[in-house]
Amino acid sequence: MAQLSGFWMFLKGGRGPAQVSFSDAPVRDARIDVIRGLALLIIFVNHMPGNIVSSVMPHNFGFSDAADIFVLLAGVSATFAYGRLIENRGLSVGLLKLGGRLWTLYIAHLAVFILVCGIVAAAVTRTQNPLYVEAINIQPFFNDTFEALIDALLLTYQPNFLDILPLYIVLLAAFPAIYFAARRSPLLTLAASLTLWQVALALSWNFPNARNSGWFFNPFAWQVTFTLGVVIGRAAQQRISLPPLRIVDLAAIGFLMFSIVVKTATGNPFGLPVMTEWLEALQLGSDKTNLAWVRLFHIGALAWLAMRFLPAGAAMASNALGRILARTGQNSLEVFCASIVLAIAGQIILAEAAFDLGVQLLVCSIGVMLLVGLGNFLSWYKTLTQKGSARPQGHAAGVRVALPAASVPER
Amino acid sequence: MILSLCALPAFAEAPQALTASEALRCQYQAAQQPFLPDLPNARRAVQSAKTLKVVALGSSATAGAGASSEDVSYPSMLRAELNRRLPGIEVKVLNRGIGGQSAYDMVMRMDADAIAERPAIVIWQTLATDALRNVGEERAAKILRKGIRKVQEAGIDMVLMDLAWLPREERYPQYDDYRGVLAKTAAELDVTVFPRHAIMRAWARSKQFSYEELVGMDGVHLVNSANRCLATRLAEGIVAAITRDAAAPVKDAKLD
Repeated sequence: MAQLSGFWMFLKGGRGPAQVSFSDAPVRDARIDVIRGLALLIIFVNHMPGNIVSSVMPHNFGFSDAADIFVLLAGVSATFAYGRLIENRGLSVGLLKLGGRLWTLYIAHLAVFILVCGIVAAAVTRTQNPLYVEAINIQPFFNDTFEALIDALLLTYQPNFLDILPLYIVLLAAFPAIYFAARRSPLLTLAASLTLWQVALALSWNFPNARNSGWFFNPFAWQVTFTLGVVIGRAAQQRISLPPLRIVDLAAIGFLMFSIVVKTATGNPFGLPVMTEWLEALQLGSDKTNLAWVRLFHIGALAWLAMRFLPAGAAMASNALGRILARTGQNSLEVFCASIVLAIAGQIILAEAAFDLGVQLLVCSIGVMLLVGLGNFLSWYKTLTQKGSARPQGHAAGVRVALPAASVPER
Repeated sequence: MILSLCALPAFAEAPQALTASEALRCQYQAAQQPFLPDLPNARRAVQSAKTLKVVALGSSATAGAGASSEDVSYPSMLRAELNRRLPGIEVKVLNRGIGGQSAYDMVMRMDADAIAERPAIVIWQTLATDALRNVGEERAAKILRKGIRKVQEAGIDMVLMDLAWLPREERYPQYDDYRGVLAKTAAELDVTVFPRHAIMRAWARSKQFSYEELVGMDGVHLVNSANRCLATRLAEGIVAAITRDAAAPVKDAKLD
C-alpha cells in the first residue's frame, strides 16, 4: 500500500516520498542498455526487408516494434543524462550540453545521408538495378541534387531509413520542456502529451516534408512515447518502484497475447463479426507515421512488464551476453548510424545474391557481429582513454560532478 | 504539395509532338500488349462536363523528376498527350507520386491525395516497394483490394499499372509473383491493368531503345523518350475508352 501511495504521489506531484540526492553516483540500470542493444540489432535486421531473419522479429508478433522501444528508451536515458545534469549544475549547463548533443546528432544524420547516397549511387551504376533507388527513395538526390541537398540540411527530405535521427533530434530538443513538466506533475504531462497528439491528428499537423505530406515519424505523435520514457526515467530518478498491481500485470500480459494472436492469425480468430474489419486493419499494419493507440498500449504493456519483472540494477549485465548487449546499447548513436549504412549495403548484397538463403543468414550475422563489435570496441576504447586521463585531482568537486554526465548511456 | 504543381497546365510547358520515327518506336508490337480499359466515369465527365481529371498515384516511377528540373514524369507527359488527343476538353493530370512508398502507404493517403480531388480516373502505380520488401503476397493482395475498393466506391474509374520491367529480374525471386498478385486482384475487381512490364520488355528486346533509355542511372523512371512512349500508350487507351460509342462532342478526337 505504501508503494501504491508513493506511486500516486509521484504521478500527481513529480516527487516520491524518498529524499533523493542527485549528487549520489547514478545507479546504472542495465535493463536499459541491454534492451537498447537488442533493439539496435533488431532495427538493423528489419532494415533489410525481405530477409528471413526479419520474418521472426518482434514486429511480426506485436503492434509496436523496435522503433517504439528506441524512442521510449531515448526518453528514459535523456532523463538520466540531462535531467540529472540540470538538477546538479542548473538549467544553463544542461542546455549547453544538450545543444552539443543535438549538433552531434545532426552531423551524424548528415554523414549517414551522404554515405547512403554514395553507396546507392555506386550500386545503381554498377548493377543497373533501378529499384535500389526506389527502395530508399533517394531519387530526388539524383534528379534534383541541389534542392534535395538543401532539403536534407533542413531535414525536410528524409530518404527511407533516414527518418529516425531527425525525429530523435526534435524530441531531444523538446526534452527540457517535457522534463520540467514531468517534474511538476507526470500525470498532467502525460495528459498534455496525449492531447497534443490527438489535436495534431485532428488538425493533420506534421513537420514539413518537401516531397511528402510530412515526416515519416510525425514528432507531434511520437512525443507521446518519448514523454512516457521521460516519466519513467523521472520515476527511476525518484526511486519510485511500480506498485505490485496484479490486475495491471494481467491486463498487460493479456494485451500482449491478444497482439500475438491478431498478428499471427489469418482472418478473424475470435469469430465476432463486429471485429472483422478492425482486425483486418490491424493485420495490414498500424499507423507508424501518426502512432496508433494499439502501438502505444503495446509499448506501454511491454514497459510495465519489463519494469515489474526484469531484474533491476546491474543484474541483466551480469552474464557475458548481457554485458555484450549492454555495451552495444551504451554506444547507441554510433551503433545506430553504422547499422543504417550496413543495412543499406546489406539490401544491395541480398538482391545481387538473389536472396540466397545462405547469403541472407551470412549478411545478418556478419552485420550483427560488426555492430556488437563496434559497441564493445567503443566501450573498451573509452575506458582505455579515461584511464589515461585520470589525474590525482580527479576528486576535486568540479571534475566529480561532471563524471555522471560523461558516463550516461547517451555518450 | 509541390509535386502537384508541376502537373498543372500553367506550370508545365507542353512537350512537342513525337516525330514519326519516335511514334513508330513507341508502337513496337503494340498489338501484343493491348490496353483496353473501360472508363464509364471518365466518358461521362468528358461528354457532359468537357473535363477529364486524372490522379496519378504512385511511387517514384510516378513522382518522376520533381519540380525543379524539366518535368519528364509520366503524368505530365500523359497530360500533354491527352490534351493533343482531346481538343476542347479541359485535361488535368495530378501527380501524386511519392518515392519509396509501399501500397500500404498509398492506401493510407488514398482519400486525401486521390479521392478528395474527385477525379474521373485514378491511375495507381504500386507494388514495386512491396515486391522488393517481400511483404507477403496475401497481405499485398488485401492492401490492393482495400485501395481499389475505396476508389471504386467513390465512383471513380481505376487503372492499375503493372510493375516495371527490370534487367536481371531474378534479383528479386518473388518479383513475378507480385505481378501475379496485381493481375489477379485487378481481374477479381474488374480493373484494367496497364501492361507496363510487357511493353518495356518488348522495347528492351526490340533493340530500338538503348539500355540507357530504358533503365538509365535513374532507373524505373524512364528517361525522357521512353517515359513519353509510355504516356502515349496510356493516352491512347484512355482516349479509345472515352470515345468508344461516344456521342458527338468528342467524335473528332484525333487518334494517332
